Amino acid sequence: MRAVVVGAGFAGSLVAKVLGDNGFRVLVLEAGAEPNDDAVSRFRTALVKSPLTPYRTTAAAPSSDYLVTTGPHSLASPYLRMNGGTGTLWTGITPRMRPDDFRTGDLGRGRNWPLSYADLEPHYRAAEWEIGIAADADEQRQHVPVADGYRYPMHALPRTFLDHAIASVVDGRRIDGHKLLVVGTPQARNGVPVDGYRPDGRLCAGFASCVPVCPEGAKYTPRRTQERWSASVELRTRCVVNRLHADETGRITEVGYQRYEDDTSGRHTRHTVPTDVVLLAAHAVENAKLLLMSGLANSSGQVGRNLMGHPVLLTWGLMPHPIGPFRGPGSTTGIETFRSGPERRARAPFRIEIGNWGWGWSAGSPGSDTAELVAAGLRGTELRKAVAERVGRQFTLQIEVEQEADPANRVTLADARDALGNPRPSVHYALSDYVKDGLLAAKRVSEQLFQMLGAEDFTAYEPDDGHYFEHDGEPLRYWGAGHSGGTHVMGTSPRDSVVDEWQRCWDHPNLYAVGCGSMPSLGTSNPSLTMAALALRTAGHLVSGRR
Amino acid sequence: MDAFVELSAELTGFSVEELRSTGLVEQYRALADGASEAEVIQLWYTGVWRGAVPAERAYAEGLAWKAIGVAPPGTAGPGFGSWEHRPRRSAR
Repeated sequence: MRAVVVGAGFAGSLVAKVLGDNGFRVLVLEAGAEPNDDAVSRFRTALVKSPLTPYRTTAAAPSSDYLVTTGPHSLASPYLRMNGGTGTLWTGITPRMRPDDFRTGDLGRGRNWPLSYADLEPHYRAAEWEIGIAADADEQRQHVPVADGYRYPMHALPRTFLDHAIASVVDGRRIDGHKLLVVGTPQARNGVPVDGYRPDGRLCAGFASCVPVCPEGAKYTPRRTQERWSASVELRTRCVVNRLHADETGRITEVGYQRYEDDTSGRHTRHTVPTDVVLLAAHAVENAKLLLMSGLANSSGQVGRNLMGHPVLLTWGLMPHPIGPFRGPGSTTGIETFRSGPERRARAPFRIEIGNWGWGWSAGSPGSDTAELVAAGLRGTELRKAVAERVGRQFTLQIEVEQEADPANRVTLADARDALGNPRPSVHYALSDYVKDGLLAAKRVSEQLFQMLGAEDFTAYEPDDGHYFEHDGEPLRYWGAGHSGGTHVMGTSPRDSVVDEWQRCWDHPNLYAVGCGSMPSLGTSNPSLTMAALALRTAGHLVSGRR
Repeated sequence: MDAFVELSAELTGFSVEELRSTGLVEQYRALADGASEAEVIQLWYTGVWRGAVPAERAYAEGLAWKAIGVAPPGTAGPGFGSWEHRPRRSAR
């Protein structure tokens, strides 16, 4: 059986491995080029250390900066077209979704999943072992069901000094009826393995640059799974799939792609490859683009719709004493209790990450502090002490707010073309009042946490800032998390969804669209682990169907 | 007597020895000819010269990071679990 996988990122690398291990002849077509080997160096010399800056870009397969944004808000979520995909630069935080996250339609907000947490739980475990997750099962059971007797492959990472400082104050106290508890966050970076697990890569050494690049190779990236591929998986980079061909019964017979060599031009050659099954794993936006370009899978009219992200509210302040920011991973714990609860019917729930990299994300520290103090006239020892005093106490809360599936938020094809002559994706994206109410509620909770901690709150949102808006007369701002989903939504009926519970397109028996695009809700968890669990479930389904 | 290093020490609050140990004195002297005080401080503290980072070392030796007592992100791994300890410059 021949399979073509479109995209060598998170989902594509996982499905290719399972299929290759089980007798499929797999061809993986990756639009991007091979990774550049100077990413660490590029990171160090980049003026603005944004997620995409260290990585190779090509004119033929541009990354998310080629999106056409039509408003009213901006998706603000980058993705990378390069071998390994966005999983190269991801943060490596892997919480599971909660059981109620699969039933958001019942709340009158967004859509229900055609499968339950219990259906996915064994695949969560498989994904956690394939990726290599460091977490403690008993600790995770405090907020999500984890199977009895289960062990994560690695022990939980040590918490930061900041985590301990916050937990020592807030644990056991309450805000709005929610009992506060600082909980370790599952991490896709190497810790101490349990018996029987041999991690690839080295132990996390605390370089504090996980996004966008881990110099130690301690963070999982899809390239690790690629190294485990059997010989029956072939990878071709620099191959942009731009057309799927279906026969009169709807079966996909052939995949068309454009191959380029040169990084700087759109020069290319055209090719087709016959196949028995196709799995699109090119990212939520790119999967939708390809289906729309091919005119396939869209009898429901839902292709490209239900685009969701995680609007992030950042709040930042100074702890009463030095806590040593910028040491170790970006976030090792969070406060999980606001991910659920009866308020969820009225406003979006949220997950609070305790951010360990000072005000790096929120305010550009320590460069911004230095500039401010210099402008205030500080020089010499006075300046040195002031920078130490200011930055040494910095922390940020990174609050991911759920966004419900809304068919009006969508990817379409723009009139504008890319260098290969393919339409650029166009994005219409808005935050609903449900999301805005969630952002505002998160801000209120943050204010109470800062008060409890005796922390000085420096959070300020100004009209000139990106992604600024006002809601109920309050200034607010959101940041992008890089979590895009919903664009080939999964459901129980071909009338109102694009794929079934196996991520198979209702309209095409041998076409699968895998990845976050299948998710009917994102909940409040970073979605890569759930994407991985779904990918493994789909691959297993294909393998068992063949037997 | 090296006027540029003396001035840099006075502006940054780092000693001449600390500045020399970065290995950047000669490069910065050439760059910062005619620069303002604020530009000289920004160069030493953040490794940024007029909107660009002239070298990896400029980032890695940024004095703002040394003032806090940590390595700039992506330049050194202080070791597994080191982040759990009380920071060296803790006031307590």
